[in-house]
Amino acid sequence: MSAARILGATALALGVAAPFAGARPAAERTPGAIDTAALARMVAAQEDHVSALQLARWIRDRRAGLRVIDVRSPAEFARFSIPTAENMPIEHIPGAHFRDDETVVLYSEGGAHAAQAWVFLKAAGVRNVMFVAGGLGDWFDEVMNPVVPAAPSPAEAAQVADVTELSTYFGGTPRAAPAGGAAPAAAADRDTANLIASARRRGC
Amino acid sequence: MTRPRPYANPYYCGVGLGLVLLGAYALAGRGLGASGAFASGASLLVATVDPGRASANPYFANYLADGGPAGDWLVFEICGVIIGGIVSAALAGRVRFGIDRGPSATPRARLVAAAGGGAIMGVGAMLARGCTSGQALTGGALLSVGSWLFMGALFVAGFAAAQLLKRLWQ
Amino acid sequence: MSGGLFLALLIGIAFGAALEQAGLGNARKLAGQFYLTDFTVLKVMLSAILTAMLGTFWLGRFGLIDAGRIYVPETYLWPQLVGGLIFGVGFALAGLCPGTACVSAGSGRLDGLAVVGGIFAGVLGAGLAFPMLETFYRSGARGVVTLPVLTGLPAGVVVLVIVVAALGLFQAVAWHEQRARHE
Repeated sequence: MSAARILGATALALGVAAPFAGARPAAERTPGAIDTAALARMVAAQEDHVSALQLARWIRDRRAGLRVIDVRSPAEFARFSIPTAENMPIEHIPGAHFRDDETVVLYSEGGAHAAQAWVFLKAAGVRNVMFVAGGLGDWFDEVMNPVVPAAPSPAEAAQVADVTELSTYFGGTPRAAPAGGAAPAAAADRDTANLIASARRRGC
Repeated sequence: MTRPRPYANPYYCGVGLGLVLLGAYALAGRGLGASGAFASGASLLVATVDPGRASANPYFANYLADGGPAGDWLVFEICGVIIGGIVSAALAGRVRFGIDRGPSATPRARLVAAAGGGAIMGVGAMLARGCTSGQALTGGALLSVGSWLFMGALFVAGFAAAQLLKRLWQ
Repeated sequence: MSGGLFLALLIGIAFGAALEQAGLGNARKLAGQFYLTDFTVLKVMLSAILTAMLGTFWLGRFGLIDAGRIYVPETYLWPQLVGGLIFGVGFALAGLCPGTACVSAGSGRLDGLAVVGGIFAGVLGAGLAFPMLETFYRSGARGVVTLPVLTGLPAGVVVLVIVVAALGLFQAVAWHEQRARHE
């Protein structure tokens, strides 16, 4: 038998034996195990989430290795998504793999699914993963339509300028704080923001 | 110059290559690649000419992080590929300055096709995050769906395109 | 140079040597695959995949390597499908891929050098066009998905199917080459 035939026979033998190889050794089974104590400590220390404003700054500054993951359904993603976001519906999250040098930020509508996805990814060993605590709700309240004081004090001026610039960058509109102090309904603003965002995606 | 030696048995070369790939998985935690090194080089070029554009472009900024090409695993690996190719060719008497081309293709046509084909491959590799080395070989052996998808698409398109390029090779 | 980067250099040298020894530094030989006159590409690629795949599977099974720590490329359905089609067209034109082009250039071939230059220009151009490509580039993101996960079959079964298919292909090629020799 030529050497090539021997190699082929060896490959066939190894291949035929493969389905009968049985379970992988214990080391393989640890991905998926959850160290709840460690995760609970991270939650208490607020290391599990990031503000929508911080995410906005990271996107604007083109932070290297940033991955913005939208865990909602494709239909919801198509209606509106945060710029640079990738759609990975939550059922695909357990299989997702991220590099140690990437910063993964998860978001969902209100934050609950993103928080759950955070647990899945932490259990899988992803090093740098966070979620936007208030989800898209926070994105609209803090980035797209932030409330800014109409007449900021000198101390506030720099921060107001930063938030306004950030909001404009994403196509949002800051709104002035109403005299009565009550927050206006966000629903109408959100529809407008949706319209602006979809126009920017498709162009005129 | 020594007479060129015949090529080695492709099955043995393949197994050898597979063992190198396996060694890479075991010792370096990752497989082979090639197009990524080109991306690293391109990032360096853009950073030198227009640093602002390089840092504002997420694709290039990614390759410039963590020390850039000077610290890029793939850049060192591709340097090795060049060295390995030269040494192997020299030992086998296959170093020859010239142009490999089909019997009826002019040198000029061959060079134009080579550069054009290269540019097209560059675009494809950018989109797919790899090429035959990084995706088909490395990802293929690890059973990655995207890698097998890439490999299948590339061979289908290659066979189809070859039918239109017979004058180049036959 | 750190140890890791020196290892990369060594691995690359072995990679380049293996390609050159098989003759894959020669564009005409490579292009022959697309005309079914030269099956070196198929033999080398599939043998390499089988070896590394079986090696990873069995060494992982016996705990000699931790398969969970190997970087597996992520799946991006649409960019990898379209990128593959585009790459295939370029491959048929150039007759060399990025790795083999480097080997060809190192062997003194001007066409190899032209391919290397072309790939650089292509990647540069695609990178500069990133803002326009970004949405498509990030579409179809599925994270790491392997064939066993996709099909629901055990990894061992997938390995067997691939081994049988590849060996079957090798046998078919051997018969084809035998017939061609006798004509």
